[in-house]
Amino acid sequence: MTGDGAASVSGRTGAHAGRSAGRDGAGSFWASLLEGGLLHGGVQGSPILRLLLRWVRRPLLPVIRLWRRNIQLKVVVTTLLMSLGVVLLLGFVVIGQVRNGLLEAKVKASQSQATGGFAVAKQKADEAAAGTSDDGTGRDGHSSQNVISWMSELVLSLSSGGQGAFDVVTLPTGDESGGGRGPRASGQVDPTASVPADLRARINASTTAAQSYTRIVYKDTDKKPEPALVIGKRVDDPNGDPYELYYLFPLTQEEKSLSLVKGTLATAGLFVVVLLGAIAWLVVRQVVTPVRMAAGIAERLSAGRLQERMKVTGEDDIARLGEAFNKMAQNLQSKINQLEDLSRMQRRFVSDVSHELRTPLTTVRMAADVIHEARENFDPVTARSAELLADQLDRFESLLADLLEISRFDAGAAALEAEPVDLRDVVRRVVSGAEPLAERKGTVIRVVGDQQPVVAEADARRVERILRNLVVNAVEHGEGRDVVVRLAAAGGAVAVAVRDYGVGLKPGEAARVFNRFWRADPARARTTGGTGLGLSIALEDARLHGGWLQAWGEPGGGSQFRLTLPRTADEPLRGSPIPLEPLDSRRNRALSGAGRPGDGERATVPAQATGERTLPPGREATTGRETRTGRETRSERGPGGDRAPAAVPSAGPAALPDSGAAPVVPRPASGARPQPAAPTSATRPATEQTTRTAEPGAAGARDAARKGEAFGGR
Amino acid sequence: MGADREGGAWRRSMRALACTGAGVMLLSACASMPDSGDLRDVESTPRQDAEVRVFALPPREDAPPSEIVQGFLEALTSDDPQYTTARQYLTGAAARRWAPEESTTVLSDGPDIRVDRTTAREDGDAYAFTLTGTAVARLDQEQSYTPLHGRYSQPVHLTRDAKTGQWRIDRLPQGVVMGQSDFQRNYVSVDKYYFASGSQDETAATGPVTAVADPVYVRRRVDAMTQMVRSLLAGPTRWLSPVVVSSFPEGSALRAGVTALTPDDQNRLTVPLNDKGSRAGQRQCRQMATQLLFTLQNLTPTVDTVTLERTDGTTLCTLGEDRAETMATRGSLRKPEYLYFLDDEQRLVRLAAGTTGTVPDPVPGPLGEGLQRLTSAAVSWDERTAAGVSADKSALFVARLAPGGTLGEPVVRSQGKTENDRLTPPSWDEHGDLWVADRDPRRPRLLMLEHGTGRPAEVRVPGLDGRIDAVRVAADGVRIALVVEHTDTTRSLLIGRIERAAGSGGAPAVSVLDLRPAAPELEDVTAMSWAGDSRLVVVGREQGGVQTMRYVQVDGSTPQGPSPAALTGVQSVAATADGRLPLVAYSEDGIVRLPSGAQWQKVVKDGSAPVYPG
Repeated sequence: MTGDGAASVSGRTGAHAGRSAGRDGAGSFWASLLEGGLLHGGVQGSPILRLLLRWVRRPLLPVIRLWRRNIQLKVVVTTLLMSLGVVLLLGFVVIGQVRNGLLEAKVKASQSQATGGFAVAKQKADEAAAGTSDDGTGRDGHSSQNVISWMSELVLSLSSGGQGAFDVVTLPTGDESGGGRGPRASGQVDPTASVPADLRARINASTTAAQSYTRIVYKDTDKKPEPALVIGKRVDDPNGDPYELYYLFPLTQEEKSLSLVKGTLATAGLFVVVLLGAIAWLVVRQVVTPVRMAAGIAERLSAGRLQERMKVTGEDDIARLGEAFNKMAQNLQSKINQLEDLSRMQRRFVSDVSHELRTPLTTVRMAADVIHEARENFDPVTARSAELLADQLDRFESLLADLLEISRFDAGAAALEAEPVDLRDVVRRVVSGAEPLAERKGTVIRVVGDQQPVVAEADARRVERILRNLVVNAVEHGEGRDVVVRLAAAGGAVAVAVRDYGVGLKPGEAARVFNRFWRADPARARTTGGTGLGLSIALEDARLHGGWLQAWGEPGGGSQFRLTLPRTADEPLRGSPIPLEPLDSRRNRALSGAGRPGDGERATVPAQATGERTLPPGREATTGRETRTGRETRSERGPGGDRAPAAVPSAGPAALPDSGAAPVVPRPASGARPQPAAPTSATRPATEQTTRTAEPGAAGARDAARKGEAFGGR
Repeated sequence: MGADREGGAWRRSMRALACTGAGVMLLSACASMPDSGDLRDVESTPRQDAEVRVFALPPREDAPPSEIVQGFLEALTSDDPQYTTARQYLTGAAARRWAPEESTTVLSDGPDIRVDRTTAREDGDAYAFTLTGTAVARLDQEQSYTPLHGRYSQPVHLTRDAKTGQWRIDRLPQGVVMGQSDFQRNYVSVDKYYFASGSQDETAATGPVTAVADPVYVRRRVDAMTQMVRSLLAGPTRWLSPVVVSSFPEGSALRAGVTALTPDDQNRLTVPLNDKGSRAGQRQCRQMATQLLFTLQNLTPTVDTVTLERTDGTTLCTLGEDRAETMATRGSLRKPEYLYFLDDEQRLVRLAAGTTGTVPDPVPGPLGEGLQRLTSAAVSWDERTAAGVSADKSALFVARLAPGGTLGEPVVRSQGKTENDRLTPPSWDEHGDLWVADRDPRRPRLLMLEHGTGRPAEVRVPGLDGRIDAVRVAADGVRIALVVEHTDTTRSLLIGRIERAAGSGGAPAVSVLDLRPAAPELEDVTAMSWAGDSRLVVVGREQGGVQTMRYVQVDGSTPQGPSPAALTGVQSVAATADGRLPLVAYSEDGIVRLPSGAQWQKVVKDGSAPVYPG
């Protein structure tokens, strides 16, 4: 509020609100994801799980933040992941195809080779059998004499056809042994370990050839076991006894080819993924760099450095964006400058007018005082006129004073003189000052929560002005009902709430009560009201403290104004010790009357009936969240509540805690210290109980009128 | 500034262009097969031979007697080192008695099992079989091979074990019996080397001693290296022992507890010796190592260093391949310079050995001048002296292979009536002595001329049955190959042992002893030549067959490996122990040669009697 004036302030707050709302949205997304999704389950599940989750989450947080903030990283990582997936899929498909192709060819070739071998074995057996029977050797004597060497020769001749390409193994069928049917193997193959048992069982069971995959185990050599295709068949030896003949085809070459393909694919895939990542990085960088620049420029623009412009090169889309952006900035700057000029002019005009009016007014005043003094000598009508003249001159004077005050605020000339003040004293002074008016209205002003000192660093004069304004307003509009002033302190904040039970505020009015010259009921005569600037000045005073002044009201249910100040100046506010919506609002009463189950917040504060509500120290840190959840519950409740919608909007937007308080103006070293605009009323001994003055206040009509000046026009 | 930037851009684009060009060239180099590159050694991986292994199975529960015998015979063909599986077919007592290492009988077709009818009753407790077959050969305890002829018939007796009720063999012939194919599959012939006796003292100062090959058979896959070392230490086989000596001290053996010897990764074999072996001196030790190295290189050519260790583990001596070749010589280390033959003018000419030339030069000296027409010739090992038989085979001339000089009087004359009854082609031994046989039917004799010049001394050949038709002395001078024509006109190849003894009057009494057949299956041997330390190449005809050319071992077995490609009408053949020099033959097509891995090639059309030195 230094030199920018009201417009920039409102603009800034607006932007601030928008931004914070946006961040809030993102934050709530992550919060709901992590806390609602994970942590809640964890809370209900086990603390260990929760601890573990937190432990896992902690190192990830910077990464998550980077991920959230960096679109380039997002695109590159997504590209990498997707291309990796594509490469893996492709690799699996290709390797599968190659493997199948290799195997198919190998199996076909092996089958024909083995089939030929089986035929040769059978033919040799037949030849040997024919040869021996031609020799006339006796059947029994022949038995199996030569099968021993015949079998070895058979294996040798069969295997010599394909050295390295295949090996030949014979095994006895079943558990038979001897008679030439002992295991034989070529190429140092371990016959029993290399032929799988289920293939042997199959061969034993049928006469057809069968095949299987196996792993050849070598004996007495340092050759490693290798995968192989084994084809076997049951064949008869020259004696007609069956034995098992196996062809083992090592798949070494196929394995080598496959591993070559695998290596090639892996290398190519790696290159593709890395290159795609690099390409994505480069491409995204081309787009993101201007966007980042634009974002940076926009941030600086929003920070008020309106002279910032983007560098524009070329004619592409980015360049168009830059041009449009610059044009927009240019327009904004000129408009803002115009508006600023205008507003400055207006303010100066108001200030000048006020000053200019003051001089003639002083003369008029002196004249009017003379007339007023002599009014008893006039006829009643003239006397009445003289009184009216004096009254209106009083109003005029106060109006001028207010206008000067406002213009001082607008000009940023207001300075805060903060010192530790016990707000109870201020409240007592205000209450006692309002007593006469209250008595006239038949209102009782009660002070609640003044058992303990409520100390804050504040400008006592300004706070008193605010509070007087609020209390007088409450009495004026309280329609004779009680007015409750509530004090509370918690955390880094103190609050004073003024509650009345009068006509209250219509929906939407809570936002407007702080507007200058705003009246709740335009029909009401301006004579009864104040200048219409009281609440505006109060709001400016509160902002000057870095505090909040917020209004709440419901039609027919009265209203409440709450002033929240930081305990120490320069400290930002995070919450208020008193809820804006009083507990005895109709809505709350209806809710507690309905006895909503599970509404923990309401249920836990029966103590608030006594008017004491302080923030527990532990909750200080979570104030922001609390208010948010409070709002959420409220909006949730909205459609369900009986008459909620009326109450909801009655809190002014400027009053929302999240909107952020106006920064406390640094105290200028040689700040013009404004004189108190109005003399403080005589202090009365403050009582802890609500007091009701017995007789009409001794204070004169002028005093009352002075208090009435603070009337925010309603 | 602008120009600068322009220049920079231009340079940058040029650089990018150059990079792209280089990349494209690199890629195109990668994308085609290389047609040039750096030199590299080829890691030779030994080709695995398609050897077949038999895995012995222990006897099945309740196996019938015939299956027991079959299983036993099959287990004998397996690679079981101590025949433990085979012993499971025997009763305990028989297993203790049975000595498989005593002999190995090779049957042409494997043993036949015949049931002995008199005792064959399944329900009884005894069962008898007879193993029959045609014996081909036999390995004795020294593992030396002896060809055999005749029937093989041995009884096998089985009893039923009283306790277990299982049939087991309780009486069986000693040793192992197997078929010829199993024998060839399981055994390998390896030469062990000893030194020719006499040569050691005689040439101790002057040069290397002569190593003589002594072939034995060892089981191929049962730690052949250790078997060979043990066999070498045990001394030469009986047939050769009179003419060779071992440099190992008497009683040398492997140190107790040594089970298997394997070369380390530097191809060095360490042989630990027992006490007696450890006493050898340095020179003797080097000779011992030479014997070991020659022997083991025969089995595993990669071994190139042998270290002998004393009992206490200290090194007795270490000998490398190159040193061993200065210590001793053997046939395969001699490299002839020339191939000699007679040209169309029947004079002695020569061709550089191992070349592909076809234009021979006449040898220097009188034999190359063509004054005396020759029909066969021989050149000494030092290639300084040659001997030639005259065209009518009646006279033998000796001349120096040096320019000048004249042909003297013939040193030997034959009185045979026909050409075929006169002199055989001569042969030189490594002492420089000339051997020739006179085929005169009235007085067949084998003659030796000391240093080619001395008086012909008749060599005694006890047990000779027939007339010597060809003579070839081995390079070691200890063994001699003779083709003997028997009275039934068959001609067989015999190997004899040359023993020299100091005879009366300074003339040595030389005799050829213990003739034994080297190619028993050939009945008409036409030509032969030494083709290795214990190998000959023989041209001959099997009974009822056609002429073939094949290699034979001196012990009568058939070496593994292919025979030379077939050739018809071979009249003489020449070979060397060095496998790199081609085999040369005189056939219908003139003089032809067979380089390794190729077909027969013609050298000259008109020529005859090709010989390498020896």
